Amino acid sequence: MLVTWSYRVRNSLMEKIDPRARWIFSLLFLFSITLFWDLRILLFFFVLAFSWYFSARTTWRETRRGWLFILLILFSMVVVNVIITSGGTAGIVDQEGQHPIWGFIITLPITGWIINFTLTIERVWFALAQIVRILSISAVFLIIPYSMDPRLYGFTFHGLGLPDRFAYSMDLAFRYVPTLARDFITTLDAQKARGYEIERVEGGLIRQIRRIAPLIVPVTMGSILTGEDVINAMDLRCFGLQKRTWVTITTYHWYDYALIIFSVLLLLGSLFLRYVLDIGSFWIPTWILPS
Amino acid sequence: MEEKKSLWAFGTPEVVYSGIGAALYGVLSWATNLLQIPGAANVSVRPAVAIPMFFGVAYGPWVGFITGFLGTVIGDLISGYGFWPWWAIGSGLMGFFTGLVANQMTDYKSGSDILKAEVMVIVGIVVGMGLASLSEMWVSGVDMNTAIVFNFVPAAITNLIWGLILTPILMVAYGAVKSRSGR
Repeated sequence: MLVTWSYRVRNSLMEKIDPRARWIFSLLFLFSITLFWDLRILLFFFVLAFSWYFSARTTWRETRRGWLFILLILFSMVVVNVIITSGGTAGIVDQEGQHPIWGFIITLPITGWIINFTLTIERVWFALAQIVRILSISAVFLIIPYSMDPRLYGFTFHGLGLPDRFAYSMDLAFRYVPTLARDFITTLDAQKARGYEIERVEGGLIRQIRRIAPLIVPVTMGSILTGEDVINAMDLRCFGLQKRTWVTITTYHWYDYALIIFSVLLLLGSLFLRYVLDIGSFWIPTWILPS
Repeated sequence: MEEKKSLWAFGTPEVVYSGIGAALYGVLSWATNLLQIPGAANVSVRPAVAIPMFFGVAYGPWVGFITGFLGTVIGDLISGYGFWPWWAIGSGLMGFFTGLVANQMTDYKSGSDILKAEVMVIVGIVVGMGLASLSEMWVSGVDMNTAIVFNFVPAAITNLIWGLILTPILMVAYGAVKSRSGR
């Protein structure tokens, strides 16, 4: 069993863009879209997000697992939260004067609790806005592991202003993943040879902990002892005494600056629309409401 | 007499243990990520959640934070789930808060050491998972009740169980290993 990154070279448009610019775009996109509940504006962000997503040239087969995970979240949040419980609309959608589509009143046996449920047009429309918003955010962030070279994460976050030592920790972490995965498999095989059955981590909580602890504890202690050697090696090479350089670096091009400027304008424009012009709050078309 | 290091020091050992802790948390999260909690929006049963808390207790708040934050990012990247910064920050806070008692540890095996760590495990989980869950109100537009019931409660309960039980186990094992390292 190998642990591998999702990234591979695709020669896509997105890979040509500096990772720092891509992170700036992703984060400013997130801050911008969360200002709005107007579906018309959310659709603009939706188109922008998926244009960005498709520029990475990934396939459905590669990203299927991530999307299924996101759809699971969407189902629980939208169906259960908005439609069944009406949670999430409070504070965003006016609770008065909603237009019912369907409803029921039932009394639970034994407890005598009364459940009065009404599905309204406003709730359904809010659910739609929520779906568009979450899908847009998901598209922008889901694509990151598939389109960004793991070797560049440390330098990228250094370029975004993180201190060198923090950025180097990130670099070290990404480099260590295959090593620790190998140690994990080795420990697992050694424990299996002693009768340990990971496939049967079932039963009560205490039983589960007793089954998992023999795996986690040795791997953790082994990695700590390995770390001692790395610390000694770095100290012997005077790590931290001077500003360090990086083996793999990236340089900005004109299109990276263009993306950064666009991202900043996107956020500023969103703030202006929302807080100066008061545009972007929950909107429902009048033609959908009964006369 | 051994000098107490500053709680906020971030030298070579902290850099290395942050990286190792993050990689370890990421790999162990990925290995156990298949277990999803029914009804919870986006959390899974992660016994590895004890890792950032243990690394916080052993090496300080910065190591705990990076282990939790970066480890969550790595685990989600390997699993193909994308990047969810507010949940990564929540995990980082779990390690950060437990790291606040790192300077008060003596041998990692005594009752008082374990008690201090356990208290901070609870604080870290409540703050970290609370922040992450409530941030869904801003990102996804859910209300507070939904954020608490569907995000916070499942995440906090499972993390509390695994954190409170596995962290002391790791501390005791570390107490035995530490004497060998000479640091």
